[in-house]
Amino acid sequence: MMRSKTWKLLMLGLILVPFVFGTASAKTLKIGSMSPLTGPYASDGTDIKNGVLTAIEVFEAAGGMPGYDKIELFPQDTACDPKQAVASANKLINLEVVGVIGAYCSSSTIPSSVTLNEEEIPMLTPASTNEAVTDRGLPYMFRLCGRDDDQAPAAAKFLKEYLKAKTIFIVDDKTTYSQGLADGVAKSAKEMGMEVVEHDHVNQGDKDFAAVLTKAKAANADVFYMSLQGYSPGALMTLQAKRLGLESQIVTQDAMFQPKFMDVAKEASEGIYLTYGFTDTSTPEYKSFEDLYVPKYGPIAAYATYAYDAATVLLKAIKAAGSTDPDKIKAEIMKMDFDGVAKRIKFNEKGDSGSSYIAYKIENGKFVPFWSPVKGLLQK
Amino acid sequence: MEYFIQQLINGITLGGLYALIALGYTMVYGVIQLINFAHGEFFAAGGYVGVIVLSYLAGNGHLETHPFLCLAASFALTMVYCAFLAMGVEKVAYKPLRLQSRLAVLLSALGMSIFLQNALMLTQGVYDKAYPSELFQGGLEFGDVTVSYLQIMMVGMTVVLLVGLNLLVFKTKIGMAMRATAQDKIMSSLVSISANRIISLTFAIGAGLAAAAGIMVGLYYGSVRYDMGFLPGIKAFAAAVLGGIGNITGAMLGGLIIGMIEIFGAGYISGQYKDVFAFIILISVLYFKPTGIMGENIDDTRV
Repeated sequence: MMRSKTWKLLMLGLILVPFVFGTASAKTLKIGSMSPLTGPYASDGTDIKNGVLTAIEVFEAAGGMPGYDKIELFPQDTACDPKQAVASANKLINLEVVGVIGAYCSSSTIPSSVTLNEEEIPMLTPASTNEAVTDRGLPYMFRLCGRDDDQAPAAAKFLKEYLKAKTIFIVDDKTTYSQGLADGVAKSAKEMGMEVVEHDHVNQGDKDFAAVLTKAKAANADVFYMSLQGYSPGALMTLQAKRLGLESQIVTQDAMFQPKFMDVAKEASEGIYLTYGFTDTSTPEYKSFEDLYVPKYGPIAAYATYAYDAATVLLKAIKAAGSTDPDKIKAEIMKMDFDGVAKRIKFNEKGDSGSSYIAYKIENGKFVPFWSPVKGLLQK
Repeated sequence: MEYFIQQLINGITLGGLYALIALGYTMVYGVIQLINFAHGEFFAAGGYVGVIVLSYLAGNGHLETHPFLCLAASFALTMVYCAFLAMGVEKVAYKPLRLQSRLAVLLSALGMSIFLQNALMLTQGVYDKAYPSELFQGGLEFGDVTVSYLQIMMVGMTVVLLVGLNLLVFKTKIGMAMRATAQDKIMSSLVSISANRIISLTFAIGAGLAAAAGIMVGLYYGSVRYDMGFLPGIKAFAAAVLGGIGNITGAMLGGLIIGMIEIFGAGYISGQYKDVFAFIILISVLYFKPTGIMGENIDDTRV
């Protein structure tokens, strides 16, 4: 009896330790991030987390947040799973964070933003491009990246005007993002008079695409439009397409904007086009981000810059508002107008910050800005 | 017609891989009646050891000068490593539970699978690891049909391994001992066959085959990832059940069938249902013949 009582007391003591020390510790500003840290999109999710960490580092080096001793990030793993995303959102609510950067997959951002908005916690997504993210009128939802209903017409215009394509074979892997974008491209392409010979689907997590690629080879369309959720299946599909001798021009989208795409697909990735928001890599903002990020986390990938900008917007807004009141933060966010690392940041009433999609070409293992829907060819 | 032949070749390549992995499930089941859920992880570990060895050799330039020697060395090293890994897992997670209920061992196997997958993630990172691409570039063209050298190598290697396994199990003394242990552990130990050694050996062989499949997947698809063991593991398990779990020939046949159905389902109907077709066939076969295609033999062909 005695022993079990001692144990209980000891356990109780241990449970109480964090509370005792928690109240005594320094005043901390808590922000959350949500992105897939495990599973097939773990690399993109880790980039987002690293981008936010870099933003905090820069902000603290520049003087930090008045009234707070430090800023702490609580990175949550959504695994690109809607259920886990909502659970992460609830966890962040319990942690009493003042704002959230995330999520990555549109299918995670959409349900979790409802949960966060109910608690009036601002959410800034660096990567979810599906239209519905900001079209539902949630007051505390902001988006740093572009929208798919801008990306799809830009892609279709590129196919029509530059590649002079007549027939297109489309493949997606059935996520909110990839299928939404594929449907958008199919719709825009039809409106512009191109023919979609087939629109097939694969499953998330597939490694073997031989069957669908053989089909595409037999169809022999001018363009093979690949809409997949991450760079990893994209690289596999590209490699297998080249090996199988697919002659159609491969065109893909923003999820492939990841240097690791070329690490895996190697020579097979040469000459592929993809649409992605234009980022001027010669600005001082980009250069200083690069100097900080690259030595610590490696090459800059798709959404690290957007995550950095999202966190910067949030921190600047809190500083300018001088409070963590959500409405004051929102008012400050709406006032923002500055050059971020990824692009110029200014939000409209929906919470969007505009799209700037252009086509990139992969040349010598690098993403090269190639064609703009406004200016046409960017090189030469 | 070209379309059909191309899909057939794709199907054989994929089916061969499933067959190699399925053998590990079926052999272990034959000997100790355990579904070794950690088996898919041996396959993933094989893919990783392969990429580490091959990248090292490629970094020193050996891969360009002696490609076949390097490939043989990486296969040998990887298979030996995974064989030892499997024997270790068996000693740590399954042997102490051998006299407990079968459920206990099954849970231990699930736990081991999660442990190994996370160990891979923590040590190797969440990013894909790319295989050196110098090996087996190009292929043969027959009209519209393309057979890459990689596919030829994979199918050739699979056939060699399967024939080798059959010889080992049915023509050697060790194979006879394995079959004896599978039939009756007590009786076989009375004629001085050590059950422990045979069980270890079974795990080692199964994991070795899975490891070979791991390297081939890495070479064929160009990269490996820490969670690559899960889905092929499930499919190979389905293949083993389809062929009749416990039966070696059944596992080979089951693997081929699952691979073919996946490819033809995706090729002729729609890519999004390819997993569905494989499992529909599995369920319908089990409905009419619950022991699987080759049945669970009680005679000496079972290991």
